[in-house]
Amino acid sequence: MKKFFKLERGMYVELGIATLLLIANIIMTLTFPYYSIHKRYYESNAYIVVLVGSYAIYLFYLFLAKKKSTNDIAVVLYGFFALWEVSYKLGWIHNDLLIPSPEGLFHVFIEKRPEIVKDVIGSVQLLFWGFLLAATLGTILGLLAGWIPRVREVLLPVSNVITLIPPLMFSAYMIMLLKTFRQAAIAVIFFAVFWPTFQGTVMRVGQIDRKVIEAARTMGVGTLGMLGKVIFPYCLPGIIGSISKSLRGAFMCLSGAEMLGINLGIGFFIEKYKSFADFRCVLAGIVTVGFITTVIDLLVNKIERFVIKWEK
Amino acid sequence: MEAADNQPKIEIKDVSFDYVDKKSSFGALHNVSLSIREGEFICILGASGCGKTTLLSLLSGLNKPKSGEVLLDGKPIKGPGIDRAVVFQQYSLFPWLTVKGNVLFGIRQSGRRLRRKERNEIADSLIEKVGLASAKDRYPSQLSGGMQQRVAVARALALESDVLLLDEPFGAIDPKLRLELQELVSKLVSDFKKTVVFITHDIDEAILLADRIVVMEPGAIKSIHKVRLPHPRVREELSGTEEYERLHRQLITAFYDQVEDRIDAGVTL
Repeated sequence: MKKFFKLERGMYVELGIATLLLIANIIMTLTFPYYSIHKRYYESNAYIVVLVGSYAIYLFYLFLAKKKSTNDIAVVLYGFFALWEVSYKLGWIHNDLLIPSPEGLFHVFIEKRPEIVKDVIGSVQLLFWGFLLAATLGTILGLLAGWIPRVREVLLPVSNVITLIPPLMFSAYMIMLLKTFRQAAIAVIFFAVFWPTFQGTVMRVGQIDRKVIEAARTMGVGTLGMLGKVIFPYCLPGIIGSISKSLRGAFMCLSGAEMLGINLGIGFFIEKYKSFADFRCVLAGIVTVGFITTVIDLLVNKIERFVIKWEK
Repeated sequence: MEAADNQPKIEIKDVSFDYVDKKSSFGALHNVSLSIREGEFICILGASGCGKTTLLSLLSGLNKPKSGEVLLDGKPIKGPGIDRAVVFQQYSLFPWLTVKGNVLFGIRQSGRRLRRKERNEIADSLIEKVGLASAKDRYPSQLSGGMQQRVAVARALALESDVLLLDEPFGAIDPKLRLELQELVSKLVSDFKKTVVFITHDIDEAILLADRIVVMEPGAIKSIHKVRLPHPRVREELSGTEEYERLHRQLITAFYDQVEDRIDAGVTL
């Protein structure tokens, strides 16, 4: 227990500042209810949950990961929230249609919860299928192209051209071409993930030590066995690495594709409330996208670290 | 000519090999012949670039001779196979597998029908024989060069082949460790009764291990020396004996003549 609380003195000072800002924020929120331009009152429950929740995560990282930057981030974050809150309470911001109050913004997650949950699940499902298809095909073709020079010489120049085109540019066309929005969205994600995975795999196959291949051959490993037993396991960390990079891009592409005309998903949610000029909901949608991207990123990092453990 | 019932384990007949480059072809071996008895330990001794690694690649089947043939048990070698296990100089372990995983890979490739439990037992005993029991769950990147070569030896033994081919396996390892590994190989080989071809540029290593030492000059065999010292040999007891001194002198003459010839001829070593 003693070790657990052992932090440098400077870190306690920052912890104190962050905590003070948090408490000030909560008191302001609870004691001075805010009325919007339309005399609408938003419950502050969601906002307080966000404040307390983020504080719990902050303490967790501070004491377990013992990173100094955690403190700095917390001070900046709670400072920002406090400033945002104060601006409303002191009347610096009058028009809350364009810039919502923190209570108003986070209240969307209570007000529109079924809708957001449905859209998030929709987006993640699309992402999952498109991603699964692209990663599987990209890996298989990448292994073949990496191992067989003739396949490589055909596919690599093609992929070099195509990867330069932003995948989102295909989406308008895909929406016309394919029967359902679902298929179009999956196609867009496919383009975002397939080519980087393919290229990453081809490069990785090229890096394998000849000695390793020769050793496998002297142990009686044939061509197919070589791909499955030797080249694939060797390439796996590289493949996961290129996947983690392309996955972020894929989610952005998906949100973009949804905004272009797919009537499902979090991008669609944002687009819909933009046309109602409800910027409170638009901002809440953007916050959701940020949150999901972060969660996906964390998950992929975990997988990456697990798979990569044999590399130095 | 040897009698039919005394067929050599490995027979290299009039073998030539060229490395064909974009610009030129470099003759690596010219009409080399050698026959190796079952259970014999052959050391091939030569300076770098004399074709000894090429000769081993013909035995392992990774390269095919341009002319002549290499026979194993009287049949021509068509390609790599599990009847010959190879230990390379370094970096040949599978980096994504642990020590035990590498050895298990060899056991699986050997084609024996074994239960998981049996495979595990064989792997554990091989790892123990090369002295790595405490490191069996480590990855190759976490091992020193000497430990990696121990794993490579264990993996080669896991194939249970009659023939063991070693290509300067301890060339990149510091002298003290090398001595340990030489003793290990000498012991393992006599335990497992294998036919061994061992490539080296170290005269003492050759005398310590071999039944016969084949000295190579560029592209050809220069001379063959029989080692008449009883096994097991211990390095400290060897030096000073008459046979050792005689052999050592012979080998040095054979080895350095050839190096001087090449320096005279302006060949870069």
